[in-house]
Amino acid sequence: MIVNQNYRRLALAWGLVVMLAASGCATAPSPDCRMSDTRALNAAIESAQDRLQQGCVAQFDGYMDQLLDVAAGDPDPDNKQAFSDFLVWAADTGLLSRRQAQETWNRYFNVKFVSLRGDYNNCAQTCPVRRQVMTDMEQELADKERGMLQAALDREGYYRADRLLSETELVLEATCRACEAGGR
Amino acid sequence: MKGTDGNHGASSVRGAAAALLIAVPLLLGAARGPTLQLFPTTVLEDIKETGQAAEQMETGLQDVIARLDRQQQLYVQSKCDGAEGDPGCGRISRQLGTSYMEMLDVMATRLPDMERAVNSTRDSLEKRLRAELGLKMTPWTLQETLLGNEPTGAETSQPRLRGRSGLRLSERFRQYYSLVAQSGRTAEHSLAVVAADIYLDMEEASTLIAQTREEIGRATLLEELNQSFGVITPEMQQVVDGVKTILFGEAGQVIELAGPPTGAADDSYQSPLEW
Repeated sequence: MIVNQNYRRLALAWGLVVMLAASGCATAPSPDCRMSDTRALNAAIESAQDRLQQGCVAQFDGYMDQLLDVAAGDPDPDNKQAFSDFLVWAADTGLLSRRQAQETWNRYFNVKFVSLRGDYNNCAQTCPVRRQVMTDMEQELADKERGMLQAALDREGYYRADRLLSETELVLEATCRACEAGGR
Repeated sequence: MKGTDGNHGASSVRGAAAALLIAVPLLLGAARGPTLQLFPTTVLEDIKETGQAAEQMETGLQDVIARLDRQQQLYVQSKCDGAEGDPGCGRISRQLGTSYMEMLDVMATRLPDMERAVNSTRDSLEKRLRAELGLKMTPWTLQETLLGNEPTGAETSQPRLRGRSGLRLSERFRQYYSLVAQSGRTAEHSLAVVAADIYLDMEEASTLIAQTREEIGRATLLEELNQSFGVITPEMQQVVDGVKTILFGEAGQVIELAGPPTGAADDSYQSPLEW
């Protein structure tokens, strides 16, 4: 009997804790993660920074996407630096690691391909996954089109990246065949 | 099948031609001491030899193809088509068949040399590519090598790699030489691309030469067995046309020079605000 009463008290106490916790969650304000509807890149970046500081970190990729759209609406070579500053800020505030920030910026604004990286030799690392690497590079070229070409008006850089992709495809095809022939 | 004989032969010639045509740029590049060891002297020698083999084949076929053309013209002018019973037409037909067999014979004679040269070039390049780009480089350093030095304006007007030209091989060779001589220097990054290009071409050529040799043997045997020298078939004509197109560029094709990168002009981004 005493045991049953103790169980009942324990259950009541646990229920109370759950109710309090639930009411606490309900009253916490959820941040508004929508970016301001502006067509000016600097204002849009400030808006994104504000939202990120309020806790909308999960929206980072979406903000980046929107910022690229905004930049494409007013393309300018200086936009490269604006994005760089934004990503450096994100790294400094701990939203991104330094490496993530570098990869993001280079993916959109550098001729070189983030998709073609690694610490081992090409026969061992690149050749076994050559087709996947090429697919990734093609997708990255589409991002470079948005960043370099549409947002920053860097036509020369974009077309060099385009040519680099073609050259890489040719050279990797030959190199990987040579690697395979050496392994036979 | 005879039609494919010609295409195979033509393709193999084309493969060797790539080496011939690019030999001079490579020599110039090597002379300036690239750090990439893709073209040591042995590879250059192999490439030169391949070019010479292609040139010899071109020279050897020139006369017989010209004769075939004259005989074909005479056949048409004499209205021999459908007049097989006519003794004069029969004689022209037999001459055509003999010339055709001679063309196959020249190809069969020259192809072994070319095959040796092509295989040797392929093997040397294969080793260099594996060592220099495959084992010594990471993906990132490969990328940096390809970016290397930006090409000069003159280099952008070099003929497109792995392209097809309707120009006589020797003439195209001269044009390459001229373009490269004007370019001033050959960027190192292009050596990697050129090496890859020649290697892939040599590999393809090697396969095609082997197939062509086999087909020539078969075609020759069939002609002899059928004793059909008297008639030049459309297939025979196709073979002759194919060889002419590749060797002498007689198909009315224009010289192909390199264009801008894919989508460079037409596909470029245009802002709606652009005037």
